[in-house]
Amino acid sequence: MRRDPVLVAFAVLAGLLVVAALLPVDALTTDLSDRFAEPSLAHPLGTDNLGRDVAARLLVGTRLSVWFTLVAVLACAAVGTLLGIVAGYAGGVVGQLLQRTLDVLVAIPTVIVGLVVAAVREPGPSTLLIAVLLTGWTPFARLAYQLTVRERAREYVEGAVALGAGPGRIAVRHILPNALRPLTAHACLRFANVLLSLAGLSFLGLGAQPPTPEWGAMLAEGRQYLFVAPQLVLVPAVAVVAVSLAVTLLGRRLESRCSGR
Amino acid sequence: MGGTLARRLSTLPAVLLGASLLIFLLPRLAGVDTVRAVLRGRVAEAEPDPAVAARVAAELGLDRSWAEQYLRWLGHALTGDLGVSYATRTAIAPQLAAALGVSVVLAALALLVAAVVGIPLGVRAARRPGGVLDRVVTGCSVLGVAVPEFVLAPLLVLLLAVAVPLFPATGWGTPAQAVLPVLTLAAFPVALAAQLARAETVDALSRPHVAVALAKGVGGSQLLWRHGARLALTGVTALSGMFFAGLLGGAVVVEVAFGIPGLGRLLYDAVTAQDLPMLQAGLLAVVAVAVLAGVAAELLQLALDPVARAEVEV
Repeated sequence: MRRDPVLVAFAVLAGLLVVAALLPVDALTTDLSDRFAEPSLAHPLGTDNLGRDVAARLLVGTRLSVWFTLVAVLACAAVGTLLGIVAGYAGGVVGQLLQRTLDVLVAIPTVIVGLVVAAVREPGPSTLLIAVLLTGWTPFARLAYQLTVRERAREYVEGAVALGAGPGRIAVRHILPNALRPLTAHACLRFANVLLSLAGLSFLGLGAQPPTPEWGAMLAEGRQYLFVAPQLVLVPAVAVVAVSLAVTLLGRRLESRCSGR
Repeated sequence: MGGTLARRLSTLPAVLLGASLLIFLLPRLAGVDTVRAVLRGRVAEAEPDPAVAARVAAELGLDRSWAEQYLRWLGHALTGDLGVSYATRTAIAPQLAAALGVSVVLAALALLVAAVVGIPLGVRAARRPGGVLDRVVTGCSVLGVAVPEFVLAPLLVLLLAVAVPLFPATGWGTPAQAVLPVLTLAAFPVALAAQLARAETVDALSRPHVAVALAKGVGGSQLLWRHGARLALTGVTALSGMFFAGLLGGAVVVEVAFGIPGLGRLLYDAVTAQDLPMLQAGLLAVVAVAVLAGVAAELLQLALDPVARAEVEV
């Protein structure tokens, strides 16, 4: 694989995000004598309404904002791919059932699902995960279904069947490897979407509860001081948009590579 | 087309009935203690007095069987009585109707912006794929999808309400107050519409009938708009579910961020106040609007796309 500037830039960003999540910084200590401080050596991005270090909160926030998103996307991908391949392989009524289900679910926004889940459960990361999973598996299922239907009509699958391979073996050994590349590209495109959904739900107060740092929650908190200290909104806003843009660009690049092959 | 409309609308009651059952069962299946939720809405008390709890349960009809509760709720809902809010103890139906009206205006304005700005930009960009305009439009549409409403709302307030005080930062009712919320909500549909219109038009311009039209001497721009744009619009309407989800999800954030008394705000307030009847009524309204929006999109597609129309009539 030739070195692609988008891939290199993305690897650097991913490395930075790993380091950010692991840095032992103090994001919780409040100092009411030092509220809304300007950026300085001690506080590179200043302090917030409770005198907490904004840079530290931003770094620790990657754990819930970025890495939790990765967990959620992987969960969605696993569930969606499994159901998509099963339905694609079974075809017929099962395939129709999956497609009709997907048609209905595509019109249901994650925010609404999150509100409903939060109404019957306490707010928190597990609530967010359920909300994202309920709608997030569908695009993966659609793609895995289409890929499976396409692949199983190929001659090599017929050959494998003739050699006595069962459905499970064909799905895992033949169809899944061929579907993996487009699914990975799709996961990158979905990552941004899930990141924004999770941050949006946290913005609405349905996710991480104070004082846990999370970018969407930081934005919501900072909004109350928009006129006094706009940086409290701008810093997490830039972080959210930068990560979601970077992953989207990577996904588009991977997708065009897939279709180019 | 009239037949399609009637057939589509006839599924509405079945969908609503199914949805109503699901919405009714939801808090019960999840094991929500309704009595405590009600009492928490009225008084801040951790452990309710059993006598008070029993009286509230009887007052709300919660001591009856689920089937009876559901039929009563459904019967009342059919006559326009959506019950009383646990939090404010006022009738829900008028509040819901007012909120729905606000949200429909907000979403319609955002969709209008998407149609007027997004589709022409996408069609124009498709004229020269890889050209300057195409790159700018594609870049902006990627940005439009990557910037969420909860980031765009405070940014627009900072720019257009604080730095350059052109529009009010919150509220609803005057045209000026609608500008920032509509811009915030429109970003996603504009970006999505531009991307779709571009892809559909590029695809359309490579088709045989366009080559024929070119050979007949139809001018470039007339061709682009007559043939390309028409196909683009049908592609956009085919993805109406995605637009709907984007608008509805965005409306919750936008209405909370700008203090707009719409449906999204109503749902959000119902959740934070643990106001179950309000939440259930709001969700019913969401399902009804979703089905109606789907029908509208399908009719629009039939009106625009002769191929789809032929398929229906066969």
